[in-house]
Amino acid sequence: MAKTGMDRLNELKKEIFKCIHCKACRFAYSGEPSRKGIGEFKGKQGTVLYEGMVDSCPAGIEYGWEAFWNAGKIWIARSILSGDLEFTEEVRDVILPCITCGQCSAQCENKIPTVDIIESLRAACVESGVPLIDKHALVDGLVKERNNPYGGAADERFKWAKDAGLDKFVNNKDAKIAYYVGCTASYRQIEVAIATAKLFEQLGMNFTLIEDEVCCGSPFFRIGEVNTAQTLMKKNLEAFKNVKKVYFSCAGCYRTFTIDYPKWMAEGEKLPFKTQHAFELVAKLIQDKKIKFKPNAELKGKVVTYHDPCHTGRHFAIDMEQEMIKESKNLMFDSRKIKQKIDEWFEIPRIILKKLEEDVGIVFKEMYRIKLNSMCCGAGGGVRAGYPDFSLRTASLRCDEANAVGADILTTECPFCWRNLSDSNELYEHDLMVLGILQMITEYELLDILQKPTEADLLGK
Amino acid sequence: MSYKAPDEKDLEAMIGIVGKNYASNNKAITASYLAKSVMGLESQIPDIVVRPKYTEEIRKILIYCSAEKIAVSPISGGLSGGFACPTIKPAGVLLDLGRMNRILEIDEANRYAIVEPGVTNGGLWAYMEKYHPDWAPPIADGAPPAATVMGDAIDRGFSLYTSSVGPQGDNFMCAEIVFPNGDVVRTGSWALPFAKPFYKFGIGPDMWSFLMGSQGALGVVTKAAVKIYPHPKHKTVVAWGMSNPYDMQDLTLEVGHQEFGISHNTVMVQGGNYPLVMTRWPKDKVPHEYEFFKEIGIPEWWMNWECWAQTQEELDYVVKRINSMAEDFKKNRAKDGAAMKPWELHPKQIASRMKKPNKIAVPYSFWDAGFLFITWYTPWNECAEFAEMYNAEMEKRDIPPVMWIASIERCRQAICMPIICFDSTKDEDFEKVQDLNAVTTEYSLKRGWLNYRPDPFIHIQAYYQAGMYWKYLRAFKKLVDPNMIMHPGRLALP
Repeated sequence: MAKTGMDRLNELKKEIFKCIHCKACRFAYSGEPSRKGIGEFKGKQGTVLYEGMVDSCPAGIEYGWEAFWNAGKIWIARSILSGDLEFTEEVRDVILPCITCGQCSAQCENKIPTVDIIESLRAACVESGVPLIDKHALVDGLVKERNNPYGGAADERFKWAKDAGLDKFVNNKDAKIAYYVGCTASYRQIEVAIATAKLFEQLGMNFTLIEDEVCCGSPFFRIGEVNTAQTLMKKNLEAFKNVKKVYFSCAGCYRTFTIDYPKWMAEGEKLPFKTQHAFELVAKLIQDKKIKFKPNAELKGKVVTYHDPCHTGRHFAIDMEQEMIKESKNLMFDSRKIKQKIDEWFEIPRIILKKLEEDVGIVFKEMYRIKLNSMCCGAGGGVRAGYPDFSLRTASLRCDEANAVGADILTTECPFCWRNLSDSNELYEHDLMVLGILQMITEYELLDILQKPTEADLLGK
Repeated sequence: MSYKAPDEKDLEAMIGIVGKNYASNNKAITASYLAKSVMGLESQIPDIVVRPKYTEEIRKILIYCSAEKIAVSPISGGLSGGFACPTIKPAGVLLDLGRMNRILEIDEANRYAIVEPGVTNGGLWAYMEKYHPDWAPPIADGAPPAATVMGDAIDRGFSLYTSSVGPQGDNFMCAEIVFPNGDVVRTGSWALPFAKPFYKFGIGPDMWSFLMGSQGALGVVTKAAVKIYPHPKHKTVVAWGMSNPYDMQDLTLEVGHQEFGISHNTVMVQGGNYPLVMTRWPKDKVPHEYEFFKEIGIPEWWMNWECWAQTQEELDYVVKRINSMAEDFKKNRAKDGAAMKPWELHPKQIASRMKKPNKIAVPYSFWDAGFLFITWYTPWNECAEFAEMYNAEMEKRDIPPVMWIASIERCRQAICMPIICFDSTKDEDFEKVQDLNAVTTEYSLKRGWLNYRPDPFIHIQAYYQAGMYWKYLRAFKKLVDPNMIMHPGRLALP
């Protein structure tokens, strides 16, 4: 039987009761007060001192009240469990404007899985009968009717593939590998979908785009509408049941399939296929010296920085950490291994960027807050749909940070981050070019294949 | 004493003072300020939370609440002096001073920083690292970066210079205080309109010290001048291991007794026992037997001397002197000299101990699901007895005997910090901790030891035993807080 939000909240009770309001969770680099940075920078959203610890909880920065910083929400969850507080619309309006970026979890010395707690709290809130806010109800209605939150027609989901001459991959029955495109890349950032599919094609991959693909459910897991999310999950599990591996170009979809589905599936059920983001494949092929990049005069000398999407960065790192803690018999000894694994995880996109620097001549420059301490783009957790102004101000804070290092191009690896950063870049005039890494590779025709990937390369991990 | 439960009209009044974005009775917002099992077990959801920005706003709030007999509890924003002293019954208005977070002035020549109550350890540290790198503020060691500088002082806490220069309260020169009677009082030399904050005792007598340990029960400190100290480049940590708390106590006292020279170089002197390391991990993910910790080089008990010096030569001298004193102690006066040895720390261990501010006091919830500091002051040469007594009581209740002890002012006092790791999801564990607290309090008060940040219920006995002092404390409170609205229940005052 599928779990309810209240079930999950009760499962997490011991974690919730670990919070001591230390508030390390409000900062990036909460354990590195003397970290050297790039100094003060006056950006579009004000002046930030990029040294030591930096306030990095978007909801806390925006609203200020204790309830909007993470520790406050954990104590709200505790109050719900102990009967001191009941769900109401007033409570909903405090727990919803959180991007669930996971910065808080990354900083927590007690390893509290804050994102899981906040999402379960929202799910329990919805179950208690508190209605969704209007903007969320709208996307919930659209996905129920059309299987995507944008209201796109089902038969237009793969229009981009047909228009780009990639229709041979639609419902390609022979393929063991699928590319799950996701709604944003299917209906909005089609350049991400085209770039990824073309990259796969160039690599000689036999893959399929499955027409029965529906929304992964990510927005609905995030806002607490888990019935909708679980319905979508079941449809996708049915649609993809015959493939061995699913590739993603969207951080949110990848996280949802890999981390959320197993959590919300019935006890004992497992994902029937492996999952991987396309950037992991590209990085591996670089390491195996099977691909490199061609020089490009237009890109040469451009300062490129990278935004770690929360869904592929921190959320995976925290999930890895939680799993390794569960398995560990002596955490004092294993903690170093955990740290090493997390470091390796965050290096994956940087393998590509460093190779681009070496081969293409871009200048790769990191922002101050990166990897586990990366600042969110503001799009996740249902915030872009529900609280667009707050969402865009958060994205602008991130663009300020890119401006602070003199970036010409802000890259990322998630169409949802891309959308928000792009919109904010335009709205607040940050004068950046926002690009997906794979999009950059495809659009500038940078790929130089030295050796085609083998089936083991493609199906492994 | 009866108090009014604030209603919508009172909320409107608060909004009238601070603006609609900074006063709320939203149930989720008020519940988020709960804080059980952090520094105390009691906590009550406030009725209204107000986030003032300016002294004048605070003055108006206090005048209003005093007239209406509404209880007011201030928190400075962080763990020390913040959630460590949460609202208790009868709730009322909680003043969250987190918005008052300006660093107003740094004066290197006169060696002070003027800060507002919401300035955090981390914020002030980063600011000084960037703009005044040769100077450092006396932030609390062990309290997390979001704890506030001022909260630590008002709690009578300690700082990273504490073994050398004394308790945190001694680091404050002057303050601006708003009392509920509407008066704004400036203490020390600040009593004179144009004076710099250069002399704590001002025109005398010293009123600032009356605020030390007040836990927000007398008034609201809206700004204060705190001493800053040189931040030399030459630092290290010397550590010695031993088998028992008595050898730790006595050796440390010998170093502290020097008073001059090396005693001033040892800015932070703190030690403890191996469960301090063990309980930083989940209880089912780490061995519990001492043998394991022994194998990885962790002594059963130890003492760290964090040494700061202006030159390498001076630092080398300090290290050599401590080590030679320890060797002499081991040979001639230790209870268990055979078990004593220098603890050779890896450079990473040294760096981790010297990182300020740090999160070292945070991960004790990882052991189970909650922890509590129940901290006491003792004369230094009684801290081993305290540790032995407390650890035995913890073990009787199946609580790991975690003991952390730091020297204040060259071993004039010990701040003894048992860390009670327990499962705060269980009512029976709460009862167990209450029982531990009651039994150890009875023992400690008989020995004349003092509780740091007294619990308003169990430690209240200390005030009753201090009869005449408490009478005058009550009289002073009545003078500045005629309707007794400030943080009722704290200091055994209504």
